Amino acid sequence: MREKIKSWVVTVIFSLTLICFAFVNIVSPDLEFSKSERRKLKAFPKVTIKSVLSGDWFDEFEKYTLDQFVLRDFFRGVKAWSRYHLFFQKDNNKIYIANGNINKMEYPLDEKSVIRGAEKLNKIKEKYFKDKNVFVAVIPDKNYFFAPLNGSLSFDYEKMEQLIKENIKDISYIDLFDAMDKDMFYLTDIHWDQEKIIPVADLILKTLGREEKASDFTYEKQKLYPFYGSYYGQAAIKTKPDTLTYLTHAYLDRATVYDYETKEYTDIYRPELFEGYDPYDEFLSGARTILTIENPSNTSGKELIIFRDSFGSSIAPLLLCGYSKITLVDIRYIPYELLGDRLDFSKDIDVLFLYNTMVFNNSAMLR
Amino acid sequence: MLFSSISFLYYFLPTVLILYFIVPNKFKNTVLLFSSLFFYFYGEPTYVLLMIVSAVSGYLHGLWIEKAKARGGGKLPLASSIFFSLAGLLYFKYTDFFIQNANRLLNTQIPLLKLALPIGISFYTFQILSYVIDVYRGDAKVQKNVLDFLTYVCLFPQLIAGPIVRYTTIEEELKSRKHTLEGFSEGVRRFMIGLSKKVILANTLGELGTHFLNATEKTVLFFWIMTVSFMLQVYFDFSGYSDMAIGLGRIFGFKFLENFNYPFISKSVSEFWRRWHISLGTWFRDYVYIPMGGNRVPVLRWFLNVFVVWFLTGFWHGAQWNFILWGLYFAVLLILEKYVFKAFLEKAPAIVQRVYTLFAVTVSFVLFNADSLEESIRNLKGMFGLLNIPFSGIETVYYLRSYGIVLLIAAIGATPLAAKAFRRLKEKKAGKYVMTFAEPVFLLAMMLLVTGHLVDGSFNPFLYFRF
Repeated sequence: MREKIKSWVVTVIFSLTLICFAFVNIVSPDLEFSKSERRKLKAFPKVTIKSVLSGDWFDEFEKYTLDQFVLRDFFRGVKAWSRYHLFFQKDNNKIYIANGNINKMEYPLDEKSVIRGAEKLNKIKEKYFKDKNVFVAVIPDKNYFFAPLNGSLSFDYEKMEQLIKENIKDISYIDLFDAMDKDMFYLTDIHWDQEKIIPVADLILKTLGREEKASDFTYEKQKLYPFYGSYYGQAAIKTKPDTLTYLTHAYLDRATVYDYETKEYTDIYRPELFEGYDPYDEFLSGARTILTIENPSNTSGKELIIFRDSFGSSIAPLLLCGYSKITLVDIRYIPYELLGDRLDFSKDIDVLFLYNTMVFNNSAMLR
Repeated sequence: MLFSSISFLYYFLPTVLILYFIVPNKFKNTVLLFSSLFFYFYGEPTYVLLMIVSAVSGYLHGLWIEKAKARGGGKLPLASSIFFSLAGLLYFKYTDFFIQNANRLLNTQIPLLKLALPIGISFYTFQILSYVIDVYRGDAKVQKNVLDFLTYVCLFPQLIAGPIVRYTTIEEELKSRKHTLEGFSEGVRRFMIGLSKKVILANTLGELGTHFLNATEKTVLFFWIMTVSFMLQVYFDFSGYSDMAIGLGRIFGFKFLENFNYPFISKSVSEFWRRWHISLGTWFRDYVYIPMGGNRVPVLRWFLNVFVVWFLTGFWHGAQWNFILWGLYFAVLLILEKYVFKAFLEKAPAIVQRVYTLFAVTVSFVLFNADSLEESIRNLKGMFGLLNIPFSGIETVYYLRSYGIVLLIAAIGATPLAAKAFRRLKEKKAGKYVMTFAEPVFLLAMMLLVTGHLVDGSFNPFLYFRF
């Protein structure tokens, strides 16, 4: 009798699970975007005779079923939990959590990519800034600080620095590794926390020859909570959120930002974007091809151009105290050859290449 | 379509289950046939016709053999069937291998055909062959209903990665079979165990193999970890697939034979092969080895029989020299076991016998894993410290720590320990009571875990698809 009850229970649970999930998957509306993974989700593939007979349609359908599965984030969490707590694995999709701090293992070192990245800087310097003071500063990613603490894999950062130094020509290297520590990063995000990187801004300003120091200004702290960073979604496991702090000051309030893409003027901080797909867009509207920030409070006429990734968005406001104008260029979205048509490089400007180590290790993204 | 996919679990399977159980008995085979054809079409739109033609050919040859036998003949239709079946297999699977070797030997430049291998062709070809040979021998009655025969060949639970189900095994069930609650729930249990073995263990071990390939640091220890991990991955991948096939068969009222029986606890290589891929081993035994005389022949002839069978076993797994070498390696071991090691092995303690077998099998998996002979040799050298590499390193230790528990679970899971403990628990009254509730909960938890792994993961190939 007990066996019969068990058979009933097994049969009912199995059948109901399959049928219910099948039904809900079919009737539930498809999502366009995954906020936790910050990517577009696959839409139902278009059916054509050609795509069906070639098998392409089925391949696309497979991806669609994975992306649009109901409770996708919950199931990703189940998997992540099992990896960390059932099988005691040290990472899940290269993501690991150390003392509530979510990190990504960037490994191994791609030496060719680093050299290619350095050569890209040389080409830009050669094309636009032959007689200018050009600097490169490399921001270590979180893994540099947390991997040794967690026994995780990390690449040879010294080797990366050495490769960059050996391959750049007439470009001065600013060492940020010693100026930074693990507490400068958010718990759930890849980025550094603006409120903690004032010493880094000071170091850069000093190396660029500016007398102004970010630490001389008394900033007002504005806080946004809760901040779930990009690693939070990738980790698929619940951890404590961060508070996103941004620093305001009268000179920042007076500054204006011009976006070359939208041809519009905006503010440095965009708190309204905090609720969007990437809360970090709060800083200088997020990923933008070219931006200029005019600082009427600085009358030196001195200009800085920063070739940057997303880390540049939060440090640029701090560097602004030393310049009348800062131009931010992201050559991940525009080929550098086209920049001459849009920007005037003939003036007396300082040039800074500011990239995190992951960009150098994946330098194919620099166009 | 993969069993371990969202499309199979949450689209295909529920649809087929509903259709299958609502139609009257006389239409159940039709539902199975058309769902099987769709299942195959989903993964191989082009080659579904090839499978149907092969199956129809087997069906017609069966009728022809039956007719010819009534007139005292039958050899011609049997030869014709074997020729047509093997011609398809040889053409799609082995042509490029022969061309490559001809080019090397004769210094010619015959272009390769570069044909995609139709999924499951080795499995369904062997099923058709077993049917026609059994009809010829009188071991099976000819199947006159073409739908039933196509259902046998195309039956999706065992279609693309086995086990090789003999026609005689399910001959009666094709005509009529019982569908019981116990059978269904037993099938569910078996299917879920297989699915968990595949998705949770085999895929995770597969990741370790990928890490090894991408590792910048190769060490002796890492070579060993990779080999052991691959061995366990193949076992959980293939035995998991067999479990799923057996379980699905059971849900639909079929009883397929077992394909694995804890091979890694074997005390000899010959025992290993009685426990590993049983349906293939018995196929070669019954249709090649015994017809050649088996072991009731002079010693030299027996050597030849063994080498032929193991050459074919290796070659069946893939059109590469390392697979042939892998097969011949077992032939040599089986001969050595019979004539050299026998006296020693019989007297040795069980632990020595098992260590010897595990070692021999582990080395065999190095040959099995490689894409070429050169790679096999390199990996063997790596394992035995002949590549001038360190014993261990940072990466090795990291992956050993990260995958250590999975490797341990897999190693224990490859033995009958868990099954024994489960049986003992069920023998006790309190255990029985607990299991009534614990088992469904466990299966549901496995379902959630598997779904989580599938939804999140992209590493999901079935290793035995390439055969």
